[in-house]
Amino acid sequence: MKLTDLVSRELVNLHLQGSTRDEILREMADVLAANGRLLDKDAYLDAVFAREQEGSTGIGFGIAIPHGKSAAVKTPSVAFGKKPEGVDWNSLDGEPAHLVFLLAVPETAEGNEHLKILQMLSRKLIDDEFRQGLLQAANVDEVMALLETVE
Amino acid sequence: MISMKLLAVTSCPNGIAHTYMAAEKLSKAAEAMGVDMKVETQGSIGVENELTAEEIAAADGIIIAADKTVDKSRFVGKRLLEVAVSDGIRRPEELIRAFSEGDVPVYGQGQADAGSRLKTIQEIKQARKSRQNPVYRHLMNGVSYMIPFVVVGGLLIALSLGFGGHPTAHGMAVTPGSFWDHVLQVGTASFSFMVPILAGFIAVSIADRPGLVPGMIGGYIAANGSFYGSTAGAGFLGGIVAGFLAGYVAKWIKTWKVPQMIQPIMPILIIPILSSAVVAAIFIWIIGHPIAIVFSDLQSWLQSMQGASKVVLALILGAMISFDMGGPVNKVAFLFGAAMIQSGQYFIMGPIAVAICIPPLGMGLATFIGRRRYTKDERDAGKAAFAMGLVGITEGAIPFAAADPLRVIPSIMIGSMCGSVIAMLSGVTDHVPHGGPVVAVVRAVDNVPMFFVAILVGIVITALIVNLLKKEIPADEETEGVA
Repeated sequence: MKLTDLVSRELVNLHLQGSTRDEILREMADVLAANGRLLDKDAYLDAVFAREQEGSTGIGFGIAIPHGKSAAVKTPSVAFGKKPEGVDWNSLDGEPAHLVFLLAVPETAEGNEHLKILQMLSRKLIDDEFRQGLLQAANVDEVMALLETVE
Repeated sequence: MISMKLLAVTSCPNGIAHTYMAAEKLSKAAEAMGVDMKVETQGSIGVENELTAEEIAAADGIIIAADKTVDKSRFVGKRLLEVAVSDGIRRPEELIRAFSEGDVPVYGQGQADAGSRLKTIQEIKQARKSRQNPVYRHLMNGVSYMIPFVVVGGLLIALSLGFGGHPTAHGMAVTPGSFWDHVLQVGTASFSFMVPILAGFIAVSIADRPGLVPGMIGGYIAANGSFYGSTAGAGFLGGIVAGFLAGYVAKWIKTWKVPQMIQPIMPILIIPILSSAVVAAIFIWIIGHPIAIVFSDLQSWLQSMQGASKVVLALILGAMISFDMGGPVNKVAFLFGAAMIQSGQYFIMGPIAVAICIPPLGMGLATFIGRRRYTKDERDAGKAAFAMGLVGITEGAIPFAAADPLRVIPSIMIGSMCGSVIAMLSGVTDHVPHGGPVVAVVRAVDNVPMFFVAILVGIVITALIVNLLKKEIPADEETEGVA
């Protein structure tokens, strides 16, 4: 299993419309729901917002990695969105987020391979080159090529 | 940057992302700063890259970057920095620098005790080990590996003597080639490992794996007097000496600075050979000789005591039998008794037969009436000791004596002395050079009722004294073995 098993081309959005954190979370959750990744979008969003309550998922360096673990998730998935102007995410370093990875994890799932993938993604995001590549990617192909390297 | 070994634990509420980001940042920052770092992640996958007890022991400090409770009991006595998982992601360099600049406090044991109920056995052991003094810890490591050999050997010997043994002039004998003879031989084989294993694992505790070979070889030499011209080996006390000697010698050789080229063969060739040679030489030429002299001096001294009062003689014999349980002092007394049988003087072996079984029976009784003073391993060893005592295998008490010599040896000596005096005064005799209730069963004893009275008094006294001296083990440590 690799990251591209969890994120398909349809789940990548290089021009997010929302201008606040909550708008962006809803927008991305809509994409997950539209692609049949969720059983119950609202219940999933509740889990995502609850996680944000516990502490911002804006980890700095222009990255936010919101996530929800919920029975409302049908298949383990990752949605990726870019907001070139940046959006306030109440980040640890106070900087706006430009890259958003929204993770959807089922409450119970066969095996934990998807957790391993998300772990690899988390570790990879620390890599400056990887982040720069994503920021500069001009189209979905380039994004997918970069995500392909996470396995 | 000074060289440091740091460990970290990361954890976050969902255990999906931050845990691993913090782990990655800490590792990267450490690498850049030239610091050795291992990070344990406690995420939704479970614990990965778990820190081992050895790593914790060797670490200069520990960073916990977590927004979830992380059990700290295993870090008692280590410098510990506790921060939020976000700090691990945001400012790993600062966290690492805190250790080199020396403003990280040591995590205390008082704090650890508060959460002790939740600790795993492993963590309890760790916490307890860090409080123990190292000499005691090494000793316990050796004892814990020795116990199964004593139990297996003792029980097999006990079974074969109990079911297949018959009295002869040379002691309890089992018909050669019979089934019980095979059982006896297997039991004897297990017993022969007892002292080498004790010494070997004391040395391993001190010097890690390179200590095993010199420790076991040293233990073997200690147990076999023929190496240094003595008719008796140095017993388990000699084994303890050999173990510590081997461990510290191997540890010292490990610290030598050697050329790069030789380094790969250090642990498998150089250290074992050199340390074994040093330990063997010390035993053969320095320690062994005095042991041989003590042995022969004790023999002639005991001969000269024949004219002394019977009570004094019984006191001496009782004390000698239980002092080192199978070591040189015990052997002198036993051989004296056996020699007296040859010349038709059965009244010497009677008190010895009583004294022989009091240490294992007394310790067995002690674990039974004072359960809370002994670990589970010790209570099991106590049952085995009891069985060994019934057939006169004094060695059954060795696990207790080796683990806590200053409390156990005086207790069993007093018990054995009382028992042998009672036996002497009431005319208990023994016609075979062997001890324990089994010699009464095979009708080698005169005045059987007083034989048992003497044993009973001795074991009750032993058990009462040793339990008076020993402290109760706190309940949360009860699940722990001897180690």
